[in-house]
Amino acid sequence: MRDLDVVGQSYPQIDAMEKAMGKTKFVSDLALPNMLYGRILRSPYAHARIKHIDISKAKSLTGVKAVVAYADTPGIKFGPRTEDWTILASDKVRFCGDEVAAVAAVDEDIAEGALDLIKVEYEELPMVSDPLEAMEPDVPLIHEDKPGNIAFEFKIDVGDVDEAFKNSYVIYEDRYYTNQVYQAYLEPMGAIADVDLSGRITFWVGTQIPNMMRMTYAKAMGVSPDSIRVIVPDYGGAFGAKMENNVHLVAAVLAQKAGYPVKMINTRHDDFIAGNPRVPMYIDIKLGATREGILTGKEVRVVGGAGARVVYAHAIVATACYRADSLYRFKHVRSKGYTVYTNTVPTSCFRGFGNAQMTFVLESALDTIADQLDIDPAELRIKNGIGPDEVSIHGWIINSCGLKDCISKATEAAKWQEKRQLKKPFRGIGISCCNHVSGNRAFAREFDGAGGIVRIGRDGRVTVYAGESDMGQGQKTVFAQIVAERLGVPLNLVHVAIVDTDFSPFGLGSFATRGTLMGGNGVLAAADDAFKQLADVAAEMLEANPNDIECSNEKFFVKGSPERNVPFKDVTEKATFVRYGSPVVGTGFYNPGTELPDAETKYGNISPAYPFACQVAEVEVDPDTGQIKVLNFVAAHDIGRAINPMATEGQIQGGVIQGLGWALMENMVTENGSIANPDFLDYLIPTALDSPNITPILVEPIESSGPYGAKGIGEPALNPAMSAITNAIYNATGIRIKELPVSAEKILKELKKRPK
Amino acid sequence: MKVRINVIVNGEKHHLEVKPNHTLVDVLREELSLTGTKKGCGSGKCGSCTVLMDGRPVNSCLILAPQADGREVVTIEGLAGREPHPLQKAFAEKGAIQCGYCAPGMILTAKALLDVNPNPQEEEIRFAIAGNLCRCTGYSKTVEAIRSCANSSRNNRPSAGRKAYA
Repeated sequence: MRDLDVVGQSYPQIDAMEKAMGKTKFVSDLALPNMLYGRILRSPYAHARIKHIDISKAKSLTGVKAVVAYADTPGIKFGPRTEDWTILASDKVRFCGDEVAAVAAVDEDIAEGALDLIKVEYEELPMVSDPLEAMEPDVPLIHEDKPGNIAFEFKIDVGDVDEAFKNSYVIYEDRYYTNQVYQAYLEPMGAIADVDLSGRITFWVGTQIPNMMRMTYAKAMGVSPDSIRVIVPDYGGAFGAKMENNVHLVAAVLAQKAGYPVKMINTRHDDFIAGNPRVPMYIDIKLGATREGILTGKEVRVVGGAGARVVYAHAIVATACYRADSLYRFKHVRSKGYTVYTNTVPTSCFRGFGNAQMTFVLESALDTIADQLDIDPAELRIKNGIGPDEVSIHGWIINSCGLKDCISKATEAAKWQEKRQLKKPFRGIGISCCNHVSGNRAFAREFDGAGGIVRIGRDGRVTVYAGESDMGQGQKTVFAQIVAERLGVPLNLVHVAIVDTDFSPFGLGSFATRGTLMGGNGVLAAADDAFKQLADVAAEMLEANPNDIECSNEKFFVKGSPERNVPFKDVTEKATFVRYGSPVVGTGFYNPGTELPDAETKYGNISPAYPFACQVAEVEVDPDTGQIKVLNFVAAHDIGRAINPMATEGQIQGGVIQGLGWALMENMVTENGSIANPDFLDYLIPTALDSPNITPILVEPIESSGPYGAKGIGEPALNPAMSAITNAIYNATGIRIKELPVSAEKILKELKKRPK
Repeated sequence: MKVRINVIVNGEKHHLEVKPNHTLVDVLREELSLTGTKKGCGSGKCGSCTVLMDGRPVNSCLILAPQADGREVVTIEGLAGREPHPLQKAFAEKGAIQCGYCAPGMILTAKALLDVNPNPQEEEIRFAIAGNLCRCTGYSKTVEAIRSCANSSRNNRPSAGRKAYA
């Protein structure tokens, strides 16, 4: 491969300056003529029967243009995977925050005021908010068709786990709990919906999955998918949360009723109580090892609280049940997963997708086993870690794998050996690893992969269309770098369009750490096609064979003779003339060749590549207050080739701090079925003062399936952070944290139990 | 009932009739179409709506519109002169912007800090921006960007990039 010009360079994000200047129009900045403002009346009860709704008074308030309840909706049961939603509650409400009715008015104040005029008569029902309790007999059913409130069960059983445990020198067994946390993107969820004369609905919405959303919403609205258009303007963060949500559909129902566009942006309070936070999980783990520290068998039981709707919780629980098995050379594993309905906010995707929960548990268990065997925890991981070109227990084909490199580089940078040996009181250092995917065939429905479109106009301006939206992670910049590299043009010639389902490919979206590998390969294939079209024109101009044409620095030339060349823009101009004005449009796609796992055994290679990581945290615990301070944090990540090292570092630093927030600060507290801390005063996320400097280390084995060798980074940036910190706390104090988050109070309580 | 206010925004005088319960962020975004000021929580907890009022950073969602009467306000749109402000450049170039929703408020807070403390230590920077939440970057690059604009890291203090009225 020739040297790379654009890929591998730390360019600022291509839209960063617009954002720094305040010029970017986010979803919540958009306005259409005659636009109305929507507000949702939400249930104050966790579980109640709706006896009567009266919207008449609200309707008569001046400035109110539409008021809707269930009777005004299509009344279709739908859902991204499980059809347990309706747009507004029909006969009962299932969580505090459930959508009951909605108003569109000429301004927000009037809409808010009109909500007070809607009268709803409820009959409260017994409720349950804890998933373990929800599974017990004689507990009220949240969805009558799901006995035991169990929405889904997941099973996997490979090898002979019982035999493996018999052959173990140590067996560790314990129960862990990972709590419910909120994604806390800075721009709340919302949308503008507009309906044209034909009834076609356009959504302007910040979403990671515009095309999948379109399919779900078509079902919900009772229309064909082509009657829905989803436009994704710039939006302020997502971290897994911005997928399907009723807030968008309620805007559409109001727009239909009112005949005007309706803007519906969650207040922060509504976003807390009716967004889709992380799936809380009870995880029982049993892990065995030989005297030498070779892992023998693993058994887990996962109970995940889905809240009142499944959304994607079943897939998240399944991921918790088996993804981490491919981090080490396991031969015998058994998992049982339960996705359980509760009367709480529906939970769903948050960076890590179940693997974050299990990584915390598995890496805590490993730490304990290392201690029991008196083996260095880093050594234990190196002994068991999977390597390049291996096939994991579930049939995952590990191409590139820099796991052991990550471990050695992270431990070296953190001075692991020295700090473990010369341990100071109440200071500790902890390690944690993770694996992840770059795409997930098990989650994708009809296919996994991606397409791209590269349009090149007369003036040489290149526009890239992809289906993977940029939520702030830098997807546009990465696509632009890949396309600029392939075409041989500078980055500033390449523009990336926002995702619009009328123009963009049918991309599955930005999730599963798939944007760069899948979407990047899609746009690379499209750029390849566009390049070939231009090479035909350039070949004629240079009187050469099209197969010999190359382009770099914006000049086409014959391979080997760069001095005789034609400028890129001359070729694009000529190409437009000889095509009578038609632009050069390259299209292409990427087929990752992954496999849908077997329904029974779950065996099958679900991703074309697997990123790995090792993170090391150093903490200090105050013995008088229990306060924990993270002093130092090193995060080494195998990401294949970093398309943009600076952006990759930014993903790592941001992911680690989210993990730190989860480990030490964040907790959605549910009291009597309602979230007791639905604002940033009581739900604290890390500020600059809570955040240590993170030292990112990029480990870059070239991944054969990736665009220019790249894998993904989004989720693995967070996965190991919690257990790196809690393992450091263990090293500092001997206190094993089994429940997140850790608080000073918990630490102090444990310290006080000790004899003086 | 509406209240009349006179406010200077980005050097321009405005005579406005505002609802007394409206906040400065609403006035900026809705009346003046200055949507660079973001609304993240509406209750003064996230800092996305930070603007400079008489040179000091304030959560504009906590300022009632009538309280802005007679004041001078600078929003992100008014920070740049002919050239972007050095902080704007630094934020973009150093990777301190991911989704960018917090950026306008964060940049204005940093500007207010550098105005009173042109050469802050890292802890002072972190303390100053502690009221501006960012969920994307983990703050490392944010701190780096602000530090790069400190007096000690610049050859010439770019008074040219500072707006006269800011």
